Amino acid sequence: MGQKELKVAFLLALRSLQRGSRSSVLLTVLIIGMCFTNMIFLPGLFNGIGQSITKQVVDYEVGNVLVSPKTGDQYVSDLDATLDLINGMPGVERATPHFTKGATLKYRQRILGASVRAISPNDEKYVSPLYTKMIAGSYLGQDDTGEVIIGKPIAGDPSIRQEDEWQSSLGGVRVGDSITIDYGNGYVKDYRVKGIYYTGWSQADSAIYVSYTDMALADPKAVDNADYITVKAKPGYSETFIKNELIQYGVTPKVQTTADLLSKSMGRALQSFAIINMVSLIVSIIITTVVLFIVITIKTINSRRQIGILKAIGVDKEVIMHNYGFQVIILGILGIILGIIITSAMALYMAVYPIVTPEWSATLYITPMDLLINSVILFCAAVVAGYVPAYQVSREDIQTAMRA
Amino acid sequence: MIEITDLRRIYRMGNVEIRALDGVTLNIEKGEFLGIMGASGSGKTTLLHMLGLLDEPTSGRIVVEGTDFSTLSDYEKTMFRLYKLGYVFQDYALVPDLTVMENVSLPAMLRKDRTEEQYREASIDVLTKIGMIDRMDHLPRELSGGQQQRVSIARAIVNKPDILFADEPCANLDTENSRMVLDLFREINEEMDQTIVMVSHEDWHKDYFHRIIRLQDGKVISDGMEKSSGP
Repeated sequence: MGQKELKVAFLLALRSLQRGSRSSVLLTVLIIGMCFTNMIFLPGLFNGIGQSITKQVVDYEVGNVLVSPKTGDQYVSDLDATLDLINGMPGVERATPHFTKGATLKYRQRILGASVRAISPNDEKYVSPLYTKMIAGSYLGQDDTGEVIIGKPIAGDPSIRQEDEWQSSLGGVRVGDSITIDYGNGYVKDYRVKGIYYTGWSQADSAIYVSYTDMALADPKAVDNADYITVKAKPGYSETFIKNELIQYGVTPKVQTTADLLSKSMGRALQSFAIINMVSLIVSIIITTVVLFIVITIKTINSRRQIGILKAIGVDKEVIMHNYGFQVIILGILGIILGIIITSAMALYMAVYPIVTPEWSATLYITPMDLLINSVILFCAAVVAGYVPAYQVSREDIQTAMRA
Repeated sequence: MIEITDLRRIYRMGNVEIRALDGVTLNIEKGEFLGIMGASGSGKTTLLHMLGLLDEPTSGRIVVEGTDFSTLSDYEKTMFRLYKLGYVFQDYALVPDLTVMENVSLPAMLRKDRTEEQYREASIDVLTKIGMIDRMDHLPRELSGGQQQRVSIARAIVNKPDILFADEPCANLDTENSRMVLDLFREINEEMDQTIVMVSHEDWHKDYFHRIIRLQDGKVISDGMEKSSGP
């Protein structure tokens, strides 16, 4: 098969698509485009959910690296020295302690159980974007006492009756209101609501934040202890690098990266996502292969007499086979381009209007590598689907083909 | 030039055996304009298909310029058709998605001994010769039947084949267009010393042929000159 034969095969393919049935070409390209979209949409959405959850876990729960108490210990002790050690290490943007205590909140007639999280407000700014999520009032000061910030779902909406709420709230707390917190250890105190925040991450939004200084008053153990320390990595430093550095520098408590934690907590969910993705991918490939097989089979059946004539005038069967092969390649490429346009448009749309749930907000997370891999898979499926009927019909003897 | 010896073609339809060709033996000389005539079902087209390498004989031999067809592989047969033979079909058989120029150039494009410039020049020459150069960018559906048959002839002769086969090329044409096609065949035959083998059942076509082979039930029943009684 020389260059001349390939050139003739390409010319025949191109002219057939250019001057043949436009509607057939458009429909086939549309189907391939839709199959490509189907192949990439579900995995992209799952990736988006995963990315969203990971980002929120990093932002509002554990940072890039979580330092938690050793097995058997209740707290990370010797807090100041540990924080100084971690903050002095290369690659660490900031380490900040968290101390959480269950409490009962009282506001007017409403009583609600909630977690009160003590943070170091200034350090927290380096680790979490919580301070940017204030929807009313302002963020905590470093040494604020008697003031809290609360999540929007906890604050509640005064226009919704208590029995109609899907999540219990304080029924419409506003900035400046006073709420009572009973820590259950005999320490009860009235706090002024300094701000109300909304992050979109339900665990963070269902909490109340106080300063570490304030928590030390409620529970003296908070003075030099923490439930855990969240560590933010500087840009360019990997979580694993930080983890290894922490261990190497002798940080004795348990050190885990976000990936370590997510693989434990979400491992099964991620496996399920992978299975669904695989099923979606296989179904899309089968649909594309079958559709292209049918399209090319119909084309070759309708062109059998013409194929016989081409052979009669001296066109080799390889040229005839590659003619249909090139048609499939062109249709496949156009379909993939359409699919990339559709998925990119959907990704853009979902970046502006993400799918929002109480647990996460998801966008379509698609990387260039995803597009490339799916394009190659679909392209290969298309080529196989096209060449099989083309091979069969090109082997038919001239008389049989011409009598068709 | 063409030696045909005891050529037989038997089709089987269930238990019925149809002898489409039943022991045809004849020679065709270079430069001849040969007519194959006979009633419908006499074996004209079957004989032409055998000579044009479009079908396999059940038995017998065809030798063209020393090449025994039975010794050729599938690929060699394709190349033989491309380089040595030209074929004009009853229904023109042009590729509908190609322009006149592309249809005519198609066999020439595939020849390994022709550059792009050479096959374009050959196509333009032949289109000029048949008077279709001004329609070179048209599609077959934009042409009349007579014009399409002229393009089909141009495609068949663009490679300057040793033998041109025509299977009832005027069957779908009116008398005027038929005469135009036959005049063109005669011109090609005389000017290029082109061997032409043409199947026809029209009596007045006899005037164009140098020699007529008449078939009946797959056998040659006459071989020689005949005069027509006019169109």
